[in-house]
Amino acid sequence: MNKFLVFLEQREGIVKQSSISAWNRVQELAASDGNSVVSGILAGPVDTGQLDGALAGHGVIYHAGEDGLGVYNQERYTRVVADTFKREACTALFFADTALSREIAPRLSVRLQASLLSGSPTGEGVADGVSRRVYSGSFLASFVPTRQPGIYILSSSAPVPAFPDGGRINFIDMEPQQCSVEDLFPVVRDIIRSEGPPDVAEARIVVAGGRGMGGAEGFALLEQLALLLEGAVGASRTAVDAGWRPHAEQIGQTGKTVAPALYFACGISGAVQHLAGIGSAGVVVAINSDRDAPVFDAADYGLVGDVHIVLPKLIDLLKEFLKKQ
Amino acid sequence: MNIAVCVCSVPDTASVVGYLDGAIDSSRVNVVMNPYDEYALEEAVRFKERVEGSNVTVFSFAPDSAKEVLRKALAMGADRAVRVRCSEGELHPSDPFLTALGLSRTISGFYGALLPDLVFCGKQSTDFQSAQVPSMLAELLGMASVCGITSLHASGDFLRVEREIEGGIEAVDVTFPAVLSAEKGLNEPRNTSIRAVMDARKKTVELLEVSLHEEPFVVLSGIEPLERKKICCFVPDEHELLRILSHGCNLL
Ligand SMILES: Cc1cc2nc3c(=O)[nH]c(=O)nc-3n(C[C@H](O)[C@H](O)[C@H](O)COP(=O)(O)OP(=O)(O)OC[C@H]3O[C@@H](n4cnc5c(N)ncnc54)[C@H](O)[C@@H]3O)c2cc1C
Ligand SMILES: Nc1ncnc2c1ncn2[C@@H]1O[C@H](COP(=O)(O)O)[C@@H](O)[C@H]1O
Repeated sequence: MNKFLVFLEQREGIVKQSSISAWNRVQELAASDGNSVVSGILAGPVDTGQLDGALAGHGVIYHAGEDGLGVYNQERYTRVVADTFKREACTALFFADTALSREIAPRLSVRLQASLLSGSPTGEGVADGVSRRVYSGSFLASFVPTRQPGIYILSSSAPVPAFPDGGRINFIDMEPQQCSVEDLFPVVRDIIRSEGPPDVAEARIVVAGGRGMGGAEGFALLEQLALLLEGAVGASRTAVDAGWRPHAEQIGQTGKTVAPALYFACGISGAVQHLAGIGSAGVVVAINSDRDAPVFDAADYGLVGDVHIVLPKLIDLLKEFLKKQ
Repeated sequence: MNIAVCVCSVPDTASVVGYLDGAIDSSRVNVVMNPYDEYALEEAVRFKERVEGSNVTVFSFAPDSAKEVLRKALAMGADRAVRVRCSEGELHPSDPFLTALGLSRTISGFYGALLPDLVFCGKQSTDFQSAQVPSMLAELLGMASVCGITSLHASGDFLRVEREIEGGIEAVDVTFPAVLSAEKGLNEPRNTSIRAVMDARKKTVELLEVSLHEEPFVVLSGIEPLERKKICCFVPDEHELLRILSHGCNLL
């Protein structure tokens, strides 16, 4: 019998959508092998009512709801996951791919002497191995674990299965941990939220611009488009290095890897280092004045033209279209 | 203050990574310092310049061919450069655990009973892109760690760092000793002067051996090139683009 444990991440009391998706994918893995149970570990005070109907399948979720876990603390989080994993004699641990899991999963791998794999599971049933893009997205590599247990960081690109309702989740409150917080560094002092639009790495639609946008002012067009589409603005390195956009929006080898359903590349030439970040994007649309720009080789749809003429027209048409909806 | 920097070498992005008989063919590849490690090293050297009596040592678990990368590290301001090799033969870079274990044993041996005050790493390597070595190394050394930092300020016994998280920035306080991994944006790495490059030529790249005697945690079971090319359908105007995206693809 496999015992899967899924880490459910919250920030400010809200369980992340990426964790909910990871739970549902693990339920799917468990359902297809027929010999597995799924449980969860939720660290931090959370009103569990918000999860009604969101989580598929059956299972127990251990809720470590003490206030001290409200804000992420590396050592306390690592301990609470390790303790639960050992206490319940789990065989595999799953995370969604986030800044937090990328920090604690490698620690847990060493502490639990477990194989750590990040990527998309390759097997149909029990997660044996994963595949992931390497060398800036130019190769797909498969990795297999050499030991039990295994820890998996599931990449966000795979589709989340639709589940029939009817699952039942039991929440079990856990005893507070025995440890003094003071000596557990590092501590998070503050979180500075970026206002408004979603993060590029999480958005369903990304509208990205490059040198061809001509300057910081040119990006106002992309902001308008993103607002209409409820998407996020992204940028090429050139646009970031020129100071037109913050680094958090850079897409590519030394920026973010994104997996939106729809990606617009506006005034971006399509350098390999940029394309490395969009390998998992769904439909790619390129708008560029140069018909021979390499970006068109990575695009599903192309429009040859000046962004300063094309984008205002597209925005007007889109406004009309959305009004009619 | 003792500062260690871990650097790895990766294929230059301009060079073509080949594929031969089911494996990566690096024969035509020019290796360079992992771009994130340049930020790590730059930050370490700036630290040294601020805090008197500090020294920076660079460690790289790598084959002999990575010597040039270590020389570049010396030219950028590192005091010493150490190439680490495994006494049981060459190490495949696809298992972050063995890499971290080798680095932790080397660092423990190198600094003796003391741990270095700071260990800088890059956020991830651009070849296997695991982004796992820094946290594993911290765990093995028993040090705190913060991954993917974009700013760093020292204030007394604390380091105040920032890192990007989904939808914002996390400001984190950390004490010494700590492992920090560098994200782009942390700083602008310096250009090395001809003089510095010449001086670095005269220094030696030290060699240390570690014995691992451990099995890897993961093994690479296969690798295949990805065809990135798509067949682009050119549309005549904005009307048609909108029609395709809304009706054809059902995306809007
Ligand atoms: C180690 C390394 C890491 C890197 N990492 C990244 C990374 O993470 N992300 C990244 O993006 N880059 C990265 N780069 C840089 C990359 O190589 C390219 O230089 C960069 O992506 C080019 O940006 P761009 O497309 O905006 O600009 P350009 O290459 O200058 O392209 C501008 C494009 O806009 C078009 N254009 C101009 N005017 C108009 C107009 N009015 N209307 C429509 N189109 C117009 C032009 O035809 C051209 O195709 C990296 C490079 C290195 C060496
Ligand atoms: N072979 C190595 N030698 C020294 N440092 C390494 C090595 N491999 C990885 N690192 C360090 O760990 C960081 C992250 O690498 P990775 O976990 O492989 O993505 C790199 O940026 C380096 O700082």
